Amino acid sequence: MNYTYSPGWTTAVREVIIGATPDEGGTRRISYRIGGEQDLPFIGSSGHKPLIAFEICDDPAIWPEVVRCACTKLIDRPADWAAYADTVLRADLIRINLTSTKRRNFSDFDGVIKTVKSILAATSLPLLIEGSADLEIDSEVYQRCGEAGQGERLVLGTAEAARYRSVAAAAIAYGHCVIAQSPIDVNLAKQLNILLREAGVADDRIIIDPYTGALGYGFEYTYSTMERIRFAALKGDMDLAMPLISAPSDSLTVKEVRESVYSHEAAIAWEVATSVAAALAGAVILVVRHPGSVPPLKEAIDTLWTEKEGV
Amino acid sequence: MALKALDIYKLLPKKNCKECGDQTCLTFAMKLAQGKGEPDACPYLDDNAKAVLGASTRPPIQKITIGMGSRAFTVGEEFVFYRHEKTYYHQPGIVYLISDMDTEESIREVARQVRENCLTRIGIDLLLNGVAVRADSGSGEQFSRAVRIVSEGGDLPLVLIAPDPAVMEKALEICGNYAPVIGPVTPDNVTEFCEFARKYGVTLVLKGDDLPGLATLSEKCLSQKVQNLMLDLSGSSGRYVREATLTRQLALSREVTAFGYPVFMDASESGLSGVVTGIAKFASVIVTPPLQKPEMDAALVMRQNIYTDPQKPIQITPGLYRIGTPGKDDLVFLTVNFSLTYFTLQGYLEATRRSCWLLIVDTEGMSVLTAVAAGKLNEFVIKDAITLFKLADEVNHKTLIIPGYASPLSGRIEEVSGWNVIVGPRDAAEIASFIEEELKV
Ligand code: B12
Ligand code: SF4
Repeated sequence: MNYTYSPGWTTAVREVIIGATPDEGGTRRISYRIGGEQDLPFIGSSGHKPLIAFEICDDPAIWPEVVRCACTKLIDRPADWAAYADTVLRADLIRINLTSTKRRNFSDFDGVIKTVKSILAATSLPLLIEGSADLEIDSEVYQRCGEAGQGERLVLGTAEAARYRSVAAAAIAYGHCVIAQSPIDVNLAKQLNILLREAGVADDRIIIDPYTGALGYGFEYTYSTMERIRFAALKGDMDLAMPLISAPSDSLTVKEVRESVYSHEAAIAWEVATSVAAALAGAVILVVRHPGSVPPLKEAIDTLWTEKEGV
Repeated sequence: MALKALDIYKLLPKKNCKECGDQTCLTFAMKLAQGKGEPDACPYLDDNAKAVLGASTRPPIQKITIGMGSRAFTVGEEFVFYRHEKTYYHQPGIVYLISDMDTEESIREVARQVRENCLTRIGIDLLLNGVAVRADSGSGEQFSRAVRIVSEGGDLPLVLIAPDPAVMEKALEICGNYAPVIGPVTPDNVTEFCEFARKYGVTLVLKGDDLPGLATLSEKCLSQKVQNLMLDLSGSSGRYVREATLTRQLALSREVTAFGYPVFMDASESGLSGVVTGIAKFASVIVTPPLQKPEMDAALVMRQNIYTDPQKPIQITPGLYRIGTPGKDDLVFLTVNFSLTYFTLQGYLEATRRSCWLLIVDTEGMSVLTAVAAGKLNEFVIKDAITLFKLADEVNHKTLIIPGYASPLSGRIEEVSGWNVIVGPRDAAEIASFIEEELKV
């Protein structure tokens, strides 16, 4: 006798393609399909394996201290840092956080674009670009990033309810995907997806970021929100049937990590623990910042993914 | 399948004699339907009613207590699949594994870690739960030696892992009466282990080759009147997640009552990520080799997060709190009644080694930023708290220091309450330097 249980799912999560190979009009050596799940995380035979993105930045001043120590030689050289994440850490994706744009009175748009281009040249992995956080400069930042990566199917972020038009416009104009972030709430996630659709972003270009509260500081809300989004999607809510991304970067700055005598071990443990739980709740892109987090997280995802066929 | 209240009512004697403690047979039936009562409370059930109700009104997942005394822990008795449906009730025990081949010192050291390690977060002590002893030697003497060393303290709940009944018996002679969990129970040793369960009242961990094999074992134990069972779903994390998900669904829907028992997980191969997988996905006992301190902390905090009741954030009572022994001239800080905020802030205030007042206002358990965003922290709430907790009677001045994240409220607080406001730093870690450098007191 074989046991089965049918929770009454009707819908699959949408597939989103990120990155573009030469065949697809880009220059990446690989492109990924994410999403496509027809059941709960790691159950059933559908969907695509979660990916690990390593996040770097172009201005390390606001980067977590513990990561600055772990990446000392690379911290001021984003292109080399990206190459290292690709060839040494073997991350699946690279995310560049344009922290320089978050400085007051930022105006060096040319510099930022140079950085983006140098990273595109330094790694042939698909790229996520985390842009500015200021309405005033959003338009210019996203337009120029979008243009610099035309054809590459970048993932641009972050769209929020209060400021999504610039990201959306750049994604539409240059054929990229968008990360839609809302503060840990199913309904807000849904509303933002609707806003993006109305702005012209195709549903299969949206990735939901329900915001990852730090472990010990609100992570349980994130965990349940992810489960609820996934549940709603499988039950047929097409406004929520987009793949989920989780970036547990807040966990790197909590007291328990900052004040630990084993700060690197703590950073890795907290990042990996949060990422694994996020994957179990439904996240399919896991973004980490500490280089030591990539290998154990990769192994964890591999073991969760193995023997996926049949129970 | 779960019985509805009316179906249960039909099986009851309908005497309305109140001996079960309920006013009527119907209210008793409603209670049973919610899994909240024991059928045995009614002394007049006939055999048929007992048989039907016994299987279907106990909680969908059996409740089991492991160990004795202050460190004993209870698992099972869960009602939901997703934590957001209600809450998860009984957090999994994290149990450190030792081998009976380990040296006496190393066994003592692991027992000491389990006994003494304690991470205090938001006023709650997060502890490890017990020790698992595995019989790698194959010798009953060797096994019981290791078990004796761990049992010396007489406090830690035990998991005994030895498939050979002869070896197991040696250990049970030492600790059988302290409610350990024992296993693995397989078709080969099930008869002897059921014997142990009846003699000592221990809990059995059932290990089948696959889920059907596991169900057969579980039914076999029940037919031998052994009901304290756990299901061993160890294996690769992927297989674990699938089996744990499926058994949880089938147990909750009561489609397969043979799966209505807490889950046992051996995470010794997968380390921290395995432990996290067990915490998130329904494990009740997780066995792992001793973890490094940072990993242990992460696991304990993850468990605390996942097992927090989603309907009510952990809160503390609003009021005027004292840090140290403050006097009339000391500083007054304001914050919200979210436990996490309070305990974080308290830690940093104590570290300044100066006495002060802490006015805690009711934001329904929301953090500062969340409460500001939701409008729960506002000038009126603050004014009311000042009056209610008689702040003016305790201090000689009229100055409040508010959290940095509440800065947009500062003007309105001054207007409405008549108190002066100083905006503090956003991060409580900076409070000491703020007091010295900004306030210069
Ligand atoms: C978990 C969380 C939630 C939980 C609630 C948790 C809770 N019990 O409060 C949930 C999911 C319910 C939630 C809901 C909302 N949230 Co929310 N949430 C968070 C999150 C991730 C963490 C908050 C937290 O627990 N912090 C930890 C505690 C300890 O921090 P704290 O209270 O601020 O205390 C610190 C300092 O303030 C300081 N401090 C405290 N007291 C004092 C006193 C003095 C004198 C001083 C000097 C310092 C000081 O010390 C502490 C340690 O440094 C934050 C994001 C983030 N990273 O902060 C968003 C966040 C606060 N939420 C946000 C929003 C918008 C909301 C919602 C309005 C969204 C919605 N769904 O409608 C709702 C509002 C609630 C409602 N309407 O029901 C925004 C706020 C935006 C803004 N800048 O105003 C944030 C920043 C997320 C974001 N980036 O968009 N949220
Ligand atoms: S004890 Fe039995 S008969 Fe009496 S009221 Fe309760 S259920 Fe009815």
